[in-house]
Amino acid sequence: MGKKISAAAQQKAAEELAEAMSSFDGVSADIDSRSSGTQVRHTVTATCTPESWRQLAEALASEYSVDYCSMITGIHWPEAADKSWEVVYHLMRTGVKDPAAIEGVVQPNITDAENLTGVDIPMEIQISIALPDTREPMVASVQDLWVGADWNEKETWDLVGIDFEGHEGMRRVLNPHETPVGYHPLQKQHKLRYHGFEEMYDDAQGFKRKPADAGKIK
Amino acid sequence: MAEMWISMGPQHPMTHGLWTLKVKVDGETVVDTEPDLGYIHRGVEKICEARDFTQITTYCDRLCYASANTWSHSYIYAAEDLLGVEVPERAEYIRLIAVELQRIASHLMWLGAYGPDIGNLSIMVWCLREREMMMDLLQELGGSRMHYNFPRIGGVKRDLPHGFSQRAQAKLKLFLNRIQEYEALFDESTVFLVRSQGVGYAKPEEMINHGVTGPNVRAAGVDYDVRWAHPYSVYSELDWQPSVERSSIKGADCYDRYRVRVEEMRMSASMVLQALVKMPGGSETYHEPGDPKILAKAPSRAPEGTYGSHHFEDSRGESMFYIAGGGEGRGKMPYRVSIRSPMFITIPYAAKCMIGYKVADIPAIMGSFDPCIGETDR
Repeated sequence: MGKKISAAAQQKAAEELAEAMSSFDGVSADIDSRSSGTQVRHTVTATCTPESWRQLAEALASEYSVDYCSMITGIHWPEAADKSWEVVYHLMRTGVKDPAAIEGVVQPNITDAENLTGVDIPMEIQISIALPDTREPMVASVQDLWVGADWNEKETWDLVGIDFEGHEGMRRVLNPHETPVGYHPLQKQHKLRYHGFEEMYDDAQGFKRKPADAGKIK
Repeated sequence: MAEMWISMGPQHPMTHGLWTLKVKVDGETVVDTEPDLGYIHRGVEKICEARDFTQITTYCDRLCYASANTWSHSYIYAAEDLLGVEVPERAEYIRLIAVELQRIASHLMWLGAYGPDIGNLSIMVWCLREREMMMDLLQELGGSRMHYNFPRIGGVKRDLPHGFSQRAQAKLKLFLNRIQEYEALFDESTVFLVRSQGVGYAKPEEMINHGVTGPNVRAAGVDYDVRWAHPYSVYSELDWQPSVERSSIKGADCYDRYRVRVEEMRMSASMVLQALVKMPGGSETYHEPGDPKILAKAPSRAPEGTYGSHHFEDSRGESMFYIAGGGEGRGKMPYRVSIRSPMFITIPYAAKCMIGYKVADIPAIMGSFDPCIGETDR
């Protein structure tokens, strides 16, 4: 049979991590149970205030072996009541260690998934940070803790316009370098459908299309 | 000697797509690198905000031409997490077959492109020959050869067609024999060994910190794989182990990354063969499209405040979608779709890996990480 992490140990690890995260000021964490297929897995979902984010991130990286930053998502909520920007972090605990070498020969790490316990169990963590209405939304950068966050932060600033305090070497990554300052295409004021009409989908055959000089005296 | 910046790309055989690698060289030695991406940024994330959940699948297919099925499945799992759909087990097995066949096809495309990168031209035609077999099988499932649009929210588009199981078994057995031919072509080619061994060392902990996963990290002697660490689908029902390579003490070099992908093709082929046998209802039965055995009913709207995400083992590492519900049309469209592309994170790391090596090693190192620019730029 394939590798299977024990369900009870996995749930216990998720609960422990959620409890530890909740002990921080301004952080509330909970566990979520998800199933895509035959196995249920528990993930940690948390909300955090922008002020306590840096402290939480440092603790996660140093004390709770969270070693991997998967993705950073920025969301613009111009019409929501409680926030106008949101940053969602997807972190993971992978449990990857450099394999040991015996007399110069590397011994591959083969995980005994059945018997994993505590902080060795892989875990998915989702942390969302709501930001108030401001012209310059900003959260603390975690580029130095997880280098994987580096290009994610660049992308979030480039596309959504959320800046990261302390990020070194911020620049455009997906948009052209000469993009005007302040133009971030995933902000909601830039619309794809104008007045609810999109030629390609709403009038695919072009029945409503008229010549440019229609209605004018010829 | 004075240092200088040279620009490789956007049109360069090393890039496997459209991007620029700026390299600072001191004579023949690489001193610093800086990747410049975004040449084919199409704004898929923005486009998805104006499409309903079914329409998005086709855009996800087009994220990566070499590995279309893994990307649409990656999206579908996130959408199912958002909409709260439970998928019938038979559909999960069919998805697993589609994804693993795609993984083989993707690795073959990589192997076929990596040979010419470092001076072994004949391998390309050999790999494309077997990729053709995988694409024939995938065509039977999805109906087209490149962008299959195969998974549906709640299941799959079609059941396995009549006779698929025999054809798949025959082709995979032939393929398993032919892997030895690639190994002979590569491992006995002095040019290949000299150019791939001892360059581009990467250590696992450093890779994980840089956000690099998938075959690239398994090449360095660790067995981290999303398929068992964050389980989804029916992988836990099959007998398999992630392919791990015994790297050198300095980490995985380009040769290890080639070896691990060859082993992974073997593992994927074995998984497909097992799934065909273990499938509930048997691989010979056929259900009409839309049958509840292969397609569960799914809601079409996601209210505001809901979100869904899913980590998925793509051919190149961990891919992921995060979807926030509650967009246009009272939740008919997503409010925000965010895509995690493994290569977007890996390319900057691969560029760092080159520092200290010679300019002639750049194609060998870059190619060994399996770059795909379609998903990188989205």
